[in-house]
Amino acid sequence: MKHSFIDKYGNLDSFIHRLDARIKLIALFSFILIAVSEPRGILCPFIWYGMIIAFLVLASRVPVRFILGRCLVVSPFILLAAVFFPLSSMITGDFRGFEAYRYEYAVALSIALKAFSAIILLTLLVSTEKFHNLLLGLRQMKMPRLVGIISALMYRYIFILSDEALKTNMARESRTPGKLKMNKFRVYGNQSAMIFLRSLDRSRIIYNSMLSRGFTGEFPAMRDTGITAKDAAFLFFFILILLAIRLTNPGILCLNNLIRF
Amino acid sequence: MSAGIHIRNLSFSYSGGKPALKNVSLDVKPGGKLGIIGPSGSGKSTLLLHLNGILNDGHGHVEIGGTKVEKKTLPEIRKMVGLVFQNPDDQLFNPTVEEDVEFGPLNFGYTREEVSLRVREALRSMNLSGFEKLTSHHLSLGERKRVALATVLAISPRVIAFDEPFSSLDPGMISQLVALINNLDATLVIVSQLLMPLIACCQDIAVLRDGEIQAAGPKEEILRDRDLLRSNGMDPGFYLDIYQEYFM
Ligand SMILES: Nc1ncnc2c1ncn2[C@@H]1O[C@H](COP(=O)(O)OP(=O)(O)O)[C@@H](O)[C@H]1O
Ligand SMILES: [Mg+2]
Repeated sequence: MKHSFIDKYGNLDSFIHRLDARIKLIALFSFILIAVSEPRGILCPFIWYGMIIAFLVLASRVPVRFILGRCLVVSPFILLAAVFFPLSSMITGDFRGFEAYRYEYAVALSIALKAFSAIILLTLLVSTEKFHNLLLGLRQMKMPRLVGIISALMYRYIFILSDEALKTNMARESRTPGKLKMNKFRVYGNQSAMIFLRSLDRSRIIYNSMLSRGFTGEFPAMRDTGITAKDAAFLFFFILILLAIRLTNPGILCLNNLIRF
Repeated sequence: MSAGIHIRNLSFSYSGGKPALKNVSLDVKPGGKLGIIGPSGSGKSTLLLHLNGILNDGHGHVEIGGTKVEKKTLPEIRKMVGLVFQNPDDQLFNPTVEEDVEFGPLNFGYTREEVSLRVREALRSMNLSGFEKLTSHHLSLGERKRVALATVLAISPRVIAFDEPFSSLDPGMISQLVALINNLDATLVIVSQLLMPLIACCQDIAVLRDGEIQAAGPKEEILRDRDLLRSNGMDPGFYLDIYQEYFM
């Protein structure tokens, strides 16, 4: 089948790949807590956050194009959410001319920046660790077992879905020489219902095959997952730098308040 | 090493469905090799799922190596019985071959040294040495089927049940698989629509239809009964007739 795994870059080697899964998870959570809690409309620190993210991406050796592709997929949703804020101020109350909404623009931009940084880091996390190890890490961090099973199955389910979609697409296209002459919505509706039903069936079989090999919801690990001094040092400095940015709000790089509006 | 199978009066219905198995009784002695044939929908896959307790709430009695299949014996039963599913893609869900083969032994709590030994041995016996780091879904169907079998062999089950192992394989791959299966040291149950490779792998054959055992016995006996085979949609003579009509 043509699809690729979500964690297809999980086998590359870089210092980020070598970090323990738990360290990466905690680092991501800390980033989200610290950067995403920046007050609305504050933009300067994001230059610094951006540099950290860029450094991590380059260090990970995950292709930048791949990560940008992920951002592209979610960008409509993020942009929609961001545009909503100035737009809603413009249409509620008297319109004061586009110049008058600088604060709203800044808020919109900060929403978008927060969302994109979180998405990039999340993509990076999933691309620098085997999915299995992430689940294992989450389990070690006391994630409930059921959530683990569900995530493992979801992970697999995505491939089944895309598999079935590919197959039904081929089946449909092989019988449509040109444009669809029938009601499009009905055809696509039927097709997606079919995809879901078949995927459901196949997931049950896959779950059976996991059970038949002794799966009980645990994720026993083959390789060592000890946290090393290096891991701890990375996490310590990572959080330290984030906190420094968050608390001091360094404005040095905001040339002439260029992006302060 | 091998364990016997003992099934008595097994009946089972999927929720809301008509009975898929009716009063099935079967015996396979330790080291025996049983082939199961029968039309589509006759309950063959359902029967296999009962062997390692994936389905275990039917009526009747299933016993593997003297252990009754029930909720509390499931870990033991699953270590004893390996299931090779029809579609290898249903069995392979890890990014690499190695991780898929590790999955079973890790779940059963073997030490890491033991696990890597088992992985190496299972891959070697399936002629897959060197495939460890490859991505399963990039392999050919024949190779994926062998990986699927390796994932089961790594548990060293005493009973191995195959669901349609020969389907969609080309004749060359079938004969390779037959050779590999004939080298296995375990009790075998093989469901197949393809009679010829089944004959090459099994001593006994059971015919299942509408959830009922129509006949079971040594393959020589069952295969001589052409009416029985024909009435179950399985007539090797069909090919013989074509061959004779055109080439003799
Ligand atoms: N998951 C299921 N839910 C409901 N009915 C099923 C399910 N799986 C199989 N069946 C039904 O049970 C019967 C036996 O199916 P199965 O064991 O798959 O037959 P075979 O493997 O011989 O083709 C069929 O009538 C089938 O439709
Ligand atoms: Mg079947």
